[in-house]
Amino acid sequence: MLGLVLGLVTLVWISTALLTWFDTRHELEELLDSHLAQAAAVLVAQQYDADDERHVDAPRLHRYATTVAFQVFHDGGLALHSANAPRTPLVDLGAGGGGFHRVRRNGVAWRVFVTRGRERDITVLVGERLDSRDAILWAVLGSASWPLLLALPLLALGVWWAVRRGVAPLHRLGRQLSQRRPQALEALALDSTDRELLPLLDALNGLFARIDALMGVERRFTADAAHELRTPIAAIRAQAQVALAEGDDELRRHALNATIAGCDRAARLIDQLLTLSRIESSGVLVTAAVDLAALTQRVVGELAPRSIAKAQTIEFDAAAPALITGDETLLAVLLRNLVDNAIRYSPRGARIVVAVRGAGAEVELDIDDSGPGLDEVARQRLGERFFRVGASEESGSGLGWSIVRRIAEAHGLRLEAQSPGKLGGLGVRVRGATPAPAARP
Amino acid sequence: MRILLVEDDPLLGDGLRAGLRQRGWQVDWVRDGEAAERELKAEPYAATVLDLGLPRKDGLDVLAALRRAQLTLPVLVLTARDALADRIRGLDLGADDYVAKPVDLDELAARLRALVRRAHGQPQECLQAQDVMLDPAARTVRRGGVAVALSTREFDLLQQLMLSAPRVLSREQLEQRVYGWGQEVESNAIEVHVHHLRRKLGAGLIQTVRGVGYVLAREAPR
Repeated sequence: MLGLVLGLVTLVWISTALLTWFDTRHELEELLDSHLAQAAAVLVAQQYDADDERHVDAPRLHRYATTVAFQVFHDGGLALHSANAPRTPLVDLGAGGGGFHRVRRNGVAWRVFVTRGRERDITVLVGERLDSRDAILWAVLGSASWPLLLALPLLALGVWWAVRRGVAPLHRLGRQLSQRRPQALEALALDSTDRELLPLLDALNGLFARIDALMGVERRFTADAAHELRTPIAAIRAQAQVALAEGDDELRRHALNATIAGCDRAARLIDQLLTLSRIESSGVLVTAAVDLAALTQRVVGELAPRSIAKAQTIEFDAAAPALITGDETLLAVLLRNLVDNAIRYSPRGARIVVAVRGAGAEVELDIDDSGPGLDEVARQRLGERFFRVGASEESGSGLGWSIVRRIAEAHGLRLEAQSPGKLGGLGVRVRGATPAPAARP
Repeated sequence: MRILLVEDDPLLGDGLRAGLRQRGWQVDWVRDGEAAERELKAEPYAATVLDLGLPRKDGLDVLAALRRAQLTLPVLVLTARDALADRIRGLDLGADDYVAKPVDLDELAARLRALVRRAHGQPQECLQAQDVMLDPAARTVRRGGVAVALSTREFDLLQQLMLSAPRVLSREQLEQRVYGWGQEVESNAIEVHVHHLRRKLGAGLIQTVRGVGYVLAREAPR
């Protein structure tokens, strides 16, 4: 990272130097060429005034003048020249070409401007040594480069410092993360100076929160399972111990039957806990079009024998298919729990009516019984995990409503318990609220 | 000994009641907190086995209400909540013992016996009066080292009188302590049982306080 930045800076610096070099050379050439041309023009003009002074050396004007030379040819002969100019023309005049030329004489490179008088045969050559031009160029470039050369290490230092400072929060974050225990899922602390890291931290903390929630569900499941299994296991143990010590056949048979019932209940409790855990930990539903009417009919059919065994009347009522989008397996669990509750908590001879109407967002599922119903307090507490309706003969797990509520939520269905309902007992209303199933976050 | 079992779970309640009956206890069983509080305030139970997660009224609330009402009967909390914090809270609220489910019936009976004994200020497991020794765990009675066969009622009555001595107990109090719910009590049942006990264990053990009731004499009258 740091190497990349420094390399880039060096590259840019070299490019700038090269550009300066070429640009300066071009500008310098234009400037000096224009001076040559102007000097030549002046010399041509002088020839008309100073006609008589022939072969007169021009005075050496300045020490810089050694780098500049001129020759004036009049009617083919050398009329005037500077001290440092050779006697022969700097440029082959036969070519007749005016303008700028680049020539080499006695190992010295010259830039020469040639111009001719308009009326008389006057030819003026003004030359400048190219090495003097290069010297200027180097001087210009040199003075421009010193600050740049000085700036380069300073810049490198600055870049190094800035990059180090910039990635320091990342290092700190890395250290913080590597020192974490896997169980630690609390949000990462944020330094107010590390604003650049905010999006990353937010994303990480969001992830931690989600994992924490998921692990919370698992932990709760384990704790609940362990707790709630204690009672059925205590019952199984007590009944088995009673059976062992019991001399009376009738009482022993009763205790053994109760032992088996306790095992069944423990198994049912485990099933329900697993179902609940599955719904809570997997937010994703397997959705498809489900005919709620047909599904309800099937569930009522499955459970009807239990109802009949209690001399209850159970009815199913649906006029047309009720298509909704949902997870068929989970919806069946919801229906089974609700219908099972109605059968379980209604006395012998009670009446139970299950009705499905509408479809999609308007779907309506009603489960009514003529049982004792539920008071306000119990209705409020329905769906609390392990809340069992008081003093009931039935040994529910207290999880049925939690499961029903979870499944309803996952499908965007509204769930409501009325008491007294249409038949005087409990009435459960399931209403479509959203057409599409809402995946839980 | 007559105890109240408070357990909302039908299978466990049924099992505990049967098991404790096998072990010689008169067990009355209620399934919610309100009924438990009502019964415990109305009847003189020797002890109670109290579940905590109860419908209508939580077990700990029942316990707190009992202690507020100055009821000192031994309370054995039997619960699935076995976290240390729960246990401490239960004991602080006035529980005398705290047992996690599942529990062995023999252990439960032993703990109940110990609670009842301590509640009556008896340091020993076996009760002694004159030459009569009663072993609540084995449910045996010996007189001068010789085993004496007693009926369940006779044993319960004797145990009650031995535990309560030197307090005088009226016939009604004895009936309440010895008979559970739904058990027929003949109007002269206590007199009949006392009569049998005197015949089997000597006339000087149980004395009649006319117009009040019966009392057990620890020392033989001189």
